[in-house]
Amino acid sequence: MTGGHFWSVAWAVAWRVLHNVFTTPSLLLPGLVFPLFFFTAFAGGLSRVDNIPGFDFPPGYTAFQFVFVLLQSAAFGGVFTGFGVARDFEYGFARRLMLAAPRRSGIIAGYAIAALVRWAATAALLTVVAVLAGMNVGGGGVDVVALYGLALIVSLVGTLWATGVAMRLRTSQAGPVMQLPVFLALFFAPVYVPLDLLTGWLEAVASLNPVTHLLEAGRSLIAGSPADVGLAFLIAAGLAVALGVWALRGLRAAERAGA
Amino acid sequence: MREEHGIEAEGLVRTFKGDIRAVDGIDLTVAPGEIYGFLGPNGAGKSTTVHMLTTLLPPTSGTARVAGYDIVKEGPKVRSAIGAALQEAALDGLLTGREHIRLQTALHGLPRRERPARADELLSRVGLTQAADRKVNGYSGGMKRRLDLALALAHRPAILFLDEPTTGLDPQSRTALWQEVARLAKDDGVTVFLTTQYLEEADVLADRVGIIDHGRIVAEGTPAALKAEIGRPTVEAIPRDGADPAEVARILERFGEPTGASPKGIAVRLERGAQQLAEVVRALDSAGLEVEHLQLHAPSLDDVFLAKTGRSLEGAAEEAEEGQG
Repeated sequence: MTGGHFWSVAWAVAWRVLHNVFTTPSLLLPGLVFPLFFFTAFAGGLSRVDNIPGFDFPPGYTAFQFVFVLLQSAAFGGVFTGFGVARDFEYGFARRLMLAAPRRSGIIAGYAIAALVRWAATAALLTVVAVLAGMNVGGGGVDVVALYGLALIVSLVGTLWATGVAMRLRTSQAGPVMQLPVFLALFFAPVYVPLDLLTGWLEAVASLNPVTHLLEAGRSLIAGSPADVGLAFLIAAGLAVALGVWALRGLRAAERAGA
Repeated sequence: MREEHGIEAEGLVRTFKGDIRAVDGIDLTVAPGEIYGFLGPNGAGKSTTVHMLTTLLPPTSGTARVAGYDIVKEGPKVRSAIGAALQEAALDGLLTGREHIRLQTALHGLPRRERPARADELLSRVGLTQAADRKVNGYSGGMKRRLDLALALAHRPAILFLDEPTTGLDPQSRTALWQEVARLAKDDGVTVFLTTQYLEEADVLADRVGIIDHGRIVAEGTPAALKAEIGRPTVEAIPRDGADPAEVARILERFGEPTGASPKGIAVRLERGAQQLAEVVRALDSAGLEVEHLQLHAPSLDDVFLAKTGRSLEGAAEEAEEGQG
């Protein structure tokens, strides 16, 4: 019983999820359309934020919002994958995977691989639209790669969180439980303006919110003036490890329940 | 494919919330290459036992080894050695039959180059070649069952678990599945653990039968031995109009003691078994007695169930349904 079994399970699970997503418009489109909607609504509708005194982001508001939507699409891409995991348990398909997979941890890896590939498609489309919309990129190649790398880890974090919930609750009704904490973590960060321009309780909450560090590091990368990038990667990697344990324990809970 | 190890379970127990003991201390041994029929009504604990043996559900207590591996400590090795088609075929409606086999062979790590040929072979074996590239959403219940069997065989398992495989199948599909299961055991040496609530299925297929009721095995043995254990066959005659029933009864009682019969019938339990039937016919004929109906009733597994539990399998099924309702 080797790592070979782990990877054969992971690739098989990933293949099935991606096959279904890319051949079923009702599964594919929400993940693509929502980020584009948020991007055009935020970057277009709030473009005058650029003129607010104290708003100092050289690449402009489009790039400022692009980073948020990129990270948001990464996190919610993971949540959408969690919806699929919950559906698999609810409709019994997970039982086939649990029965056939010699190494069951490969099932989590498979869902995660699928989520990352799915998000990569979303990110590519979002990037094309942003560039067509005239987004300025101040950072060089390394900065941009780092930005997408950070988003990739965020996608993994979202997937592991949602998968852990799905494996514990094993019903589609678990959707809000997967979604709400991610939604709150994202929107209690400096979404529309930099942290410096927030005031009161929102500023206090945003300062404590780890997502703020990810967002600000991402924006610094696209601006070409990296700041606290190491801390952001450390936070993202730490969350990935912690939620990896969360997802594995979720798998054990599903095993105990006889899912 | 024949394995050295079959299935061994000792004191297997599974309780659920509310202290419900679905499986209440099962001991069983299934030899390699044997077809073991696990017979019992709905709710008797058959599926829970299968779920434990296939590592889907951990036992509350007790131990079991499948293909020589401990079901709790060596789950991955057990799963590599077994195939299972459970009561509800877990299929993805968005995939075709062929894609399901591709997925299953990939999950088991079958080399990529072998997968297409294996898919063709399995689809042909279960008669789904024509429907191979159709989405499973459009399959009938019988087609889904057949695909599920093909998936269970994808990695050439040494031990096959079939949980009520013919429930809901038409007679033709049922017979085809029986033939395939018998072939797997005979030609490929596959050990088969088959749960069923159909007496005929256990009788036709199983080398040995375990009868389960309320989570416990109440009888175990070959179908013939179990039936022999509860007694000799009976013969029942319904006299034709004009034939004297008392005279028919007198003749029949020469061959065994009277036993319960239908309202117009007369029945005796044959002292020396079914071989006496010809003698009964000759005796009635010599006496010039005509009968409308003459039936030899060999003990069935239902009679075994009745003898061991005090109720018939059909009655037990109804009882279980009422309990669930």
